[in-house]
Order: sequence, then C-alpha cells, then structure tokens
Amino acid sequence: MITAIIKKELLQLKRDPRLIGMIILMPLLLLILFGVALKLEPKNVNMAYVDKDQSIFSNLVKTGLWSDAYFNLYPVASKKQIIEEIRAGRAKAGLYIDNNFSALLTENKQPHITFLVDGTMPSLTTAMKYHSNSATDDSVTQDMYFSDPDAPPVVIAPDPFIMDTEILFNPDEKETWFFLPGIVGVLMMQVALILTGISVVREREKNTLEQLLVTPMSKTTFVAGKLLPYIVIAIIDFYFILSAGWILFKLPQPSSHLLLFILAVIFVAGMIALGLLISLIARTQQQAMFLAIFIIIPSMLLSGLIFPLEAIPPIVRPISYVIPFTYFVEIIRGLLIKHTELHDLLHAFSALFAFVILFVSASILKFRRTL
Amino acid sequence: MIDASQLSKSFNNHKAVDKVSLKIGSGVIFGLLGPNAAGKTTVIRMLCGIITADEGEVLINGMDINHAKARFGYVAQYFGQYEELSVWENIKFYARMYNITDKAWLATLLKRYGLEEFKQQRAGTLSGGYKRRLALVCALTHDPDVLFLDEPTAGIDPVTRKILWDDFYRLSAEGKTLFITTHYMEEAQRCHQLAFISSGKIVAEGTPDTIRDALGDARVYLSKIPYQPELRDALLELKGMILVNQFGNELRIVVKPELTLSQLETTIKSVTEKPFKLEITEPDLEDVFIALTQKKAEHA
Repeated sequence: MITAIIKKELLQLKRDPRLIGMIILMPLLLLILFGVALKLEPKNVNMAYVDKDQSIFSNLVKTGLWSDAYFNLYPVASKKQIIEEIRAGRAKAGLYIDNNFSALLTENKQPHITFLVDGTMPSLTTAMKYHSNSATDDSVTQDMYFSDPDAPPVVIAPDPFIMDTEILFNPDEKETWFFLPGIVGVLMMQVALILTGISVVREREKNTLEQLLVTPMSKTTFVAGKLLPYIVIAIIDFYFILSAGWILFKLPQPSSHLLLFILAVIFVAGMIALGLLISLIARTQQQAMFLAIFIIIPSMLLSGLIFPLEAIPPIVRPISYVIPFTYFVEIIRGLLIKHTELHDLLHAFSALFAFVILFVSASILKFRRTL
Repeated sequence: MIDASQLSKSFNNHKAVDKVSLKIGSGVIFGLLGPNAAGKTTVIRMLCGIITADEGEVLINGMDINHAKARFGYVAQYFGQYEELSVWENIKFYARMYNITDKAWLATLLKRYGLEEFKQQRAGTLSGGYKRRLALVCALTHDPDVLFLDEPTAGIDPVTRKILWDDFYRLSAEGKTLFITTHYMEEAQRCHQLAFISSGKIVAEGTPDTIRDALGDARVYLSKIPYQPELRDALLELKGMILVNQFGNELRIVVKPELTLSQLETTIKSVTEKPFKLEITEPDLEDVFIALTQKKAEHA
C-alpha cells in the first residue's frame, strides 16, 4: 500500500514539469547566485573626506585607506557635508583631517583626525572600523616621527596622531535597529506575496474562475478588485508589526510619519501586485508558493538587509537593484535610523513606485478573459 | 438567439471541435447531445467566450460575445460558486457583477428555487442538487436572454432533475434561449431542438422526432430475453448488425434492412432454447445516439 502511495505521488509530480523545473533549476540558480554574491567582506566602500591640511602627511593617511581597495575616497567640502553624504547613503564612511594636522605632527603634538562611520549596519560598521586601521598602519606612520635629535631615545614611541572614530546614526550599534526595520519588510513581503499569490490560482483550481470569466467585468476591474482589499489589509498589518517593533524593541520613530505611510502604501501595493502576477503565472497553488519563496529569499539576501550592498560583487549588483525590497530597506533605514531627507530618498521612492506600475500593468496584461 | 458559424478548436494538434455551426432562435431549448469527449464542453465554452475559437464566429443576440456578456448566463459543469460564501452572498455577488442591486428580485429567485431556508448557509455545505440550483440562480440574477448549461443535471436525482426541467420550460416560455449539453437520452427527448456531436463534428441535427431519421434505413427489434454473453457475441457477428443493447430482461437490436428477421431468429435459436418473440419497434434517441457514435468511431 505504501509503495502505491509513493508511486502515485511521484507520478503526480512527474505530470507537473513546471514544478520539477522549479524544484531543481531554481535552487541551483539561487545557489550559484549566492555563491557568487554573498561576501561578508565589502570592497570599495565609499568614503567622503575633507582634507584641510593638503600635506604630504595627510596624503599618506588617505593613501593608507586607499591601499587595499577597501575604501573608495572622494572629497567633499565640509565635515557637515560628510555627514550628509552618509545620511543620504552615498557614503558609508568619512574622514576629516583638520588644517593644522601637519603643523601639530611636526611639533609632536599628536593631532586628531576623525573617522566617521555609518552605524546603521553594525556588521559593516565593525568591518569598516577594522579596515580604518590601515590609516594608522606602520607603513603610513613611519615617516611621521619628528623627534628632537638630542632627546633620549624612546623604546616605544607614542603614535604620531590619533584617529577618533565617530559612529553616526546608531551610536550604540544596536543590531535590532539595523535588522528589525528590514525584517518588518520581509514579513510584509511574505504576507503580501502569499496572500495574493494564490488568489487567482485558487479560483482556477476551484472552478470559480470559469464562472467569473463569463461575467462582463473588465480586466482592470478584476485586477483592481483583487488588489485593493489586500493592499488595505497589508498596510494595516504593516503598522501592526511595526508598532510591535516600537513597543517591544524600542525601535526609533521615523523622521516623517507621512513618508513612512507613503512607503507602506507603495511597498505593500508593489508586493500585492507582484503576488497577483505570480498567481496569474502559476498554474497550481504549489507553483505559486514556490515562486513566492524564490522571490523572497534573494530579496532577503541581496537587498542589503543582511549583507551590505557594498559586499555584493559588481556583476551581481544589478540584480540587487531590480529587487524592490532593496529600495524598501534603504528607505526604512533612512526614515527610522538615519533620518535621511526626502530628496535623498526620492530615487528609491521612484524606483518602488515604478515597480508598482510595472507589476500592476503586467497583471492586467497577463490576465486573460479566457480559461 | 445564438448564431455560431464554423467554430473550430484544436488542443495539442487534436481537433476537439471541427467546423460546428449552430443557429438557435429565442425561446428554444437546444440540446447538444454527445458522448464524453465529443467536444460538448469545448463548444459551450466557445459560445460563452471563455475559450477562444481557432476559427469561426459567435453572435449572441446579434452581438459578439464580449459585448453580449450581460445578455447571457452560464452554468459550468462543475460547481463554480464560492464555497466560503453563503448562498445569499453568492447570489448578491453575481448580481453585482452585472450591476443588479434589486434585492426583491434576488429574493424572488431565492424563493423560486427553494433556497430560502439555506439563505445563510455556506454554499460549500449544500447538497449536490441545491448547489445546482444555486448555480442556476447565480446565472439568472441579470435575467439573461440566453442561458448556457453544461450538463446541468449530471449526477442529480430524478426528482431534482424534474424540478430543474420544469424550470427550464418556464424559462423558455419566457422567451429565453437555453443551450444544454447532455448525454442523457431522457433529457435530450425534452429538448425542442437537438444536435448530435461526435468527435467534434455535428453528425445530426433537428427535433427529437426528425433526428431519429438520422439513423437512416434501419430496423429496431425488441425481445424479452435475459442477458447471455454468447447470444450478444453471436448477434454482433451478423453482417448488417448495428447495435445490440440489453435493458434488464429486454434485448434491443438495431439492424440494417438486409439483415432479415428470419436470420435473427435463427441466430437466437442457435444460442438459447427458451421461447422468444421478436417485435419490430420504433427507434429511440438512444439507438440513434449509440449508432451514430459507433459509425463515427468506425470512420475514424
């Protein structure tokens, strides 16, 4: 008897070639993708700097940071500008060297320079702090000792300068601050994709679609009717989950409640529309579930939620930018933790909105008024 | 009014429906009769626009299907209403899909089809017969001129079947056109107009009376003989034999004229010792149905 059931299950699976493709090809694709993409070690982390000293010594410090291709330095006008660059997400770190750096150095007065670092992503912060040591490496500092030739020799000379580290936005490097806002998005993505992902497939499997198709409804009516209730439910769910984050984990309040609401609407609408699209593409509920999972996993891993985008190699990076969730992560961290200004989030908002338009239009196009 | 011309549809290179043309006037109950897999459901789905025909054209009340959607109703072969919704919620939903909000009218329908006591019950928990009634009500909320019913009484008990048929006549008397697919002879007899479909082609058309002529020149004999496999085999070997059909203790034989009564009697005597009497009788729809289906299969 048991062999009969086993055989039947295998036969059923065999009759669904799309599903077989999904369970063999998609994991393989993801494995290769993640094998190439997932690196904990970021490279080319953007660093905005101000070098008021403009001396051979300040150049030594910058060259030290450049040297192992970890930091990618570019100049800005002021220290305030450095913070703005980091807030906007254009830079993850900054370097400030005051104009008296070489003067103090030659007088052996141990000048301070400031290393600024984005604290929203603690793993990246730690890595950046570690790599900033290359600025105080012996190869950099060896030519910076100016001692009185008559003074008695010292066994251990004090460092010629001191680098202060200033952690921005999440000074305590709280992991929950970094992860939770994004996790709220992951949960919403799951809710939205599964909620609508089966909605049309289910109607197809339960024969209700056939009965619906003979009615005079238009394609737009169908798509809108399928989307709107779930969008409202998912927005309420979004705030419910986020409130739990606020209450239980003391997540910070957003810089703008209006922008947060707009984010909720656009993101949720996009995910619900994507779910509907899945439902229109899939032939069975099982296929729909698989499609949803295969969207959720790369979204989690390639969006900058867990691994910094800087750690994703350039060949895979374009994939990160076609994942709607990447923009959600950027915006929600900007709003809750960095208090990024709207003009610096506008591109991310526009990208999310473009996804909504894309998924809704694709759903309308994909929906057929025939079986 | 239904006007379909030269409808064809293929699935994976298999011609499911081949150049089917139909003209059905108002108030007519039209039966599309055929064995399983003959193409009945494909035809009705093409007429409703939920399958696109490869070739051919459908006009309903002179309009193309997409413009005529508010003028016809369709009840699929399988229950296609929402099981989680109550009877009343289902009816209201379908009504709204046609912009019908007249609750009094919907209540009339509910009452007419004996669904009042199940009004608040989940549709999924209804018995088979009441599910059919609900499906019918959902297709009638917008008071359509044309009603398509795909095997409306399959798997339904005779009492419910009669109730449904009484209603079909009432709807037809109101001037509605009913398009019904079936493979029940008893049901086909009730139609005003019939078409036989076999392997995707219409093989005979007309009223139930005239369609018997489709059998062509054939004779039908009846005899009280219990079932005997040897007898059946012996009869089927005779040249000119069209059909041997057993109904309980009654044997029904359809033959071509060249097969004479005496030949039949000799054959029967050779197998059975019991006395018997062969009577000539009128062909019925079932004879025509099986004979035409067989003929088709032989040609294929």
